[in-house]
Amino acid sequence: MFHWLEQRPFFFAVMLFATIAFAGIIEIIPDFAKASQPTVGTKPHTVLELAGRQVYIKDSCNACHSQLIRPFKSETDRYGMYSLSGEYAYDRPFLWGSKRTGPDLHRVGNYRTTEWHENHMLAPAEVVPGSIMPKYPHMFTNTADIATAYANANTQKSVFGVPYDKDGMTKLGSWEEAKAQALEDAKKVAADMKNQSVKDAVANGQVPEIVALIAYLNSLK
Amino acid sequence: MQSNAQLEYDYSVVKLFTFTTILFGIIGMLVGVILAFQLAFPELSNLAGEYGTFSRLRPIHTNGVAFGFTLSGIFATWYYVGQRVLKMSLKESKFLMTVAKLHFWLYFITILLAVVTLTLGITTSKEYAELEWPLDLLIVVWWVLWGVSMFGMIGMRRERTIYVSVWYYMSSFLAVAMLFLFNNMEVPTMFWANGAPSSAMHSISMYAGTNDALVQWWYGHNAVAFVFTTPIIAMIYYFLPKESGQNVFSYKLSVLAFWGLMFVYLWAGGHHLLYSTVPDWMQTMGSTMSVVLILPSWGSAINMLLTMKGEWGQLQTSPLIKFMIMASTFYMLSTIEGPIQAIKSVNAIAHFTDWIPGHVHDGTLGWVGFMVMAALFHMAPRIFKRELYSKKLMETQFWLQTVGIVLYFTSMWIAGITQGMMWRAYDEYGSLLYSFIDTVTVLHPYYTLRGIGGLFYLIGFLMFAYNIFRTATSGRVLDKEPANASPMAS
Amino acid sequence: MDQETLMTIAGYGKFFLLLFIFIMFYGYAFSIYRRQRSGERDYEKYSELVLNDSLDAVPLEKRDNSKEK
Repeated sequence: MFHWLEQRPFFFAVMLFATIAFAGIIEIIPDFAKASQPTVGTKPHTVLELAGRQVYIKDSCNACHSQLIRPFKSETDRYGMYSLSGEYAYDRPFLWGSKRTGPDLHRVGNYRTTEWHENHMLAPAEVVPGSIMPKYPHMFTNTADIATAYANANTQKSVFGVPYDKDGMTKLGSWEEAKAQALEDAKKVAADMKNQSVKDAVANGQVPEIVALIAYLNSLK
Repeated sequence: MQSNAQLEYDYSVVKLFTFTTILFGIIGMLVGVILAFQLAFPELSNLAGEYGTFSRLRPIHTNGVAFGFTLSGIFATWYYVGQRVLKMSLKESKFLMTVAKLHFWLYFITILLAVVTLTLGITTSKEYAELEWPLDLLIVVWWVLWGVSMFGMIGMRRERTIYVSVWYYMSSFLAVAMLFLFNNMEVPTMFWANGAPSSAMHSISMYAGTNDALVQWWYGHNAVAFVFTTPIIAMIYYFLPKESGQNVFSYKLSVLAFWGLMFVYLWAGGHHLLYSTVPDWMQTMGSTMSVVLILPSWGSAINMLLTMKGEWGQLQTSPLIKFMIMASTFYMLSTIEGPIQAIKSVNAIAHFTDWIPGHVHDGTLGWVGFMVMAALFHMAPRIFKRELYSKKLMETQFWLQTVGIVLYFTSMWIAGITQGMMWRAYDEYGSLLYSFIDTVTVLHPYYTLRGIGGLFYLIGFLMFAYNIFRTATSGRVLDKEPANASPMAS
Repeated sequence: MDQETLMTIAGYGKFFLLLFIFIMFYGYAFSIYRRQRSGERDYEKYSELVLNDSLDAVPLEKRDNSKEK
């Protein structure tokens, strides 16, 4: 029977595929529905935070920073409470990372400020002597893509039923409303910053990448 | 069909893929060396504005070597080995020839576009699946074309029995198709932009949070399995016996190791998520299966080493045999190292540290890189009908690169374990002994050493490229195809 | 059915599937070694597919096209 199979490429391929797919079927399917329940208090990201998250992805911050605190004392002492599955319920894609060239960022909003991030992104080694992180001055001049962030949020709402605009949840609304809201959020961040060109840009209705990124980092708690 | 003395194997597609193997190899490895030195000397990260930072370059390195260099090597050897063990020529079918050519050009365009989009920061952030949705669609097209050519060629074969190498190529095709499709399920956001001028290139994952992580590492781990392992085993099962003129030590063992590997490999993805928020039983399963994986992996590796039984003299005389035996040895090393790292208590220290890239690189540099280069060396005299240009250059390259790999993984072992231990060190009063930055600055010498190791490997690769180029252009012309040992000028 | 029962059923399912695969695999291993020993089929000759692979070489086992799938 086995030898018969080895001479018939079609049935052989079917058998091979079944063997390969076996693990996936057992491992992935059963727990799919269960793991995605949000923890109480977890809200969808605002549009500005999503724009910042996109900057985080664009510059591959996840290549060096994890967002996953493991349940060890040495990690909870350093980074705060260990991570829970429900906290990631609105993360598309997930950003756990696989390497800590720099520290974990899952709760960075608890212990770093807007001002700290502003200085640090410009010249990491001046804030943390010995740091090997690259400088990111281009984030102060590039404009964040609020429109794509809105499309992102609206896709989550329309396709995946993420509870935007529900009671006590993040407000999204139309593109015009969302844009105005994002700009207002950006002004709050810019108020704590000292870079004049960033402040001017926000006053003119532009959102530099750094503002969106800081809004996102501050939301990581 | 009767055998026809006029008919020959057609190597035009093999030549094209050989060219891209070398081209993307140089690009990918060069970026890799730059990355390595950026960690040792961070000023290097800011030489090219936003396009030259470590974070922007890293996906170009991983995609360049995995899907540029390695995939090209796999396709080149497939069109070579496939024709030969099936005893059919691409010349016999216009259709398959067209499919193969189209496969090459679409592939080439995709990888070039990948380099451009990743430089611009257009990425999904999922490791080894960074390319955005339009490129993903392009990949599906040429992957299907590869499948068509594969099953078409198998359908035209003259040999009844399909050799085990072809099984491995088939498994690669099927598994990557499945993994790729499921992991890249994404929704382009432009269709729900509601009037906002959003980017057409952007998409979000179908899965959220923990589920996304689970699918990603089921993919990520097995992309390693079916790009860096099974097709490379396919190569060694053909090229080692062929170059040495020996029978495979045990064909039965090769068949059993095949099914064992197919079944077990897919379970091991969970070891990337130990102590994370995925369910506990999955973590334990991933850990256990990773250890079980030693058996089929070593089954193949030992089979290869024993193939040389009684013929170890060849190791001394042929640099090509050296490359393949070293590849097999590195395969054994990394398939024992991987399961060790997958043990939960070891993983607690190793995860997130440089030990992981260290492990990846003794597999990729030692096993994948050596095997692909050996395969190209073996094919060159046959596809160009010329003698290999320089044996001396091959010997130098072999030793330079071997030293490079050893520098690479030893420095990363030390770096990883040092950092892992420092992260969890407490003083006598129960507070953390080191701040994070202490655990970074201590790594400087190891990062430098790693960069030097990588540089050695890159220089070796350039020697390889030069050697192949000179073989193709000015090697002594052969009047007939060599049967086993590849002819090489001293 | 609640989550608990589902997980239990899934658990048994996994166990028996693994057992099934285990038996298949070792059955396969046993069968090829037995056939090699009894001389019913020589597996080792398939190495020749590599060593004897030029296009005008005589195929090891000629393909019978009439009953091919």
